Amino acid sequence: MMNYDALVKSLEMMGIALPTMFLVILVFIGATKMLHKAFPAPAEEEGEDED
Amino acid sequence: MDALIQQYPWLNELLMGFLGLTWKHVVMWLVGALLIYLAVKHDYEPVLLLPIGFGAVLANIPHSSAVSQVVNEEGFLWVLYQGGIANELFPVLIFIAIGAMCDFTPLIRRPSVMLFAAAAQFGIFATAVGASLVGFKFEHAASIGIIGAADGPTTIYVASRFAVDLLGPLAVAAYSYMSLVPVIQPPVVRALTTANERKIKMGFTGEEPVSQTTKFLFPIMITLIAGIVAPISVALIGSLMFGNLLKESGVVENLSNAAQNELANLVTLLLGITIGGTMSAERFLTFDVFLIMALGAVAFVFDTAGGILFAKLLNLFSPTKINPMIGACGISAFPMSGRVIAKMALKEDPTNFIIQHAIGVNVAGQVASVVAGGLVLALIPALLK
Repeated sequence: MMNYDALVKSLEMMGIALPTMFLVILVFIGATKMLHKAFPAPAEEEGEDED
Repeated sequence: MDALIQQYPWLNELLMGFLGLTWKHVVMWLVGALLIYLAVKHDYEPVLLLPIGFGAVLANIPHSSAVSQVVNEEGFLWVLYQGGIANELFPVLIFIAIGAMCDFTPLIRRPSVMLFAAAAQFGIFATAVGASLVGFKFEHAASIGIIGAADGPTTIYVASRFAVDLLGPLAVAAYSYMSLVPVIQPPVVRALTTANERKIKMGFTGEEPVSQTTKFLFPIMITLIAGIVAPISVALIGSLMFGNLLKESGVVENLSNAAQNELANLVTLLLGITIGGTMSAERFLTFDVFLIMALGAVAFVFDTAGGILFAKLLNLFSPTKINPMIGACGISAFPMSGRVIAKMALKEDPTNFIIQHAIGVNVAGQVASVVAGGLVLALIPALLK
């Protein structure tokens, strides 16, 4: 019943994809923070957002 | 009857529907009727389940002209399948529409919420392992796992590439379980958290303004990063972010509105009925499909558990405690998951408003699910070599 070859590949996929995804997400987080910092909202937009 | 048909050949033409009818066709009519019932009566993803249900009925009328594959007599559902699913066009167009509807502002304010969304993709990989354990080959197991992305277009995109035969059941499972988030998530959340944890207040951190320039550059930046990591994901992430760029550019309001309304409605309609058209009895009434439906539920449970357990893990090290329930919102079912979790928090403590955090994590789930889909797309062919 169990597909041994598929099981090994699925585990391999999990082992590669999960850490890679966290790494990509960390890059996203860093880049988004930098972007947000580089282009802060001007004072007038602040008022609009609060609305 | 055969003698009668031999004597009057035109009878065959008139009676071919009756003569070709089997119990399997009738069961599929009931499946179609069930999907239509869930859409109409219970409002379960009606824009998808209603067309899928009717498409399933059309596909299961013996000798149906709607799904005919006879050269020069191709049925419209077959033509739509070839023109929109087999070449992955419809999922990509849907992503443009979703992108135009998305507001990534909460995500830009608190990008760290993307970590919960990443953890909530655990179900994809756990389910792929589970599917291998019950005998599916790797590319099918990975495609079944992608139900855990809780993202219909990603599921269809991956399935149309690596599990064409399972496309119908995979799409039905993805959309059905997405509509069942309010049923699936609460018991898992309750099982994995204590009452005290569910009462943790996260406070209102304020609506820090995000500049229009940041909102405009965000989709371009995400596309470039994701594209460099997994070029195969560019169609998915690129179309999602293109839709968002239309919205955030502020100069093509007509195009943005068209993507959010006309494009979304038209492609959803065509996608639904075409998926339904793939649900022929011989493909759908199999033990494999039963397993896929069961594994789909497993995927959503593991997604929810992954997000919650990650939040609990962070709580071990963080001085500021996080309500672990928000980890469950990392799935892509937006905004349903965020709302369900926010309601749960209010039920535990009527003064605990975590909707702001829950929706932020839920928006991040949209991005994380596409990233996970891209990685699966990249890894299936790589691991098959």
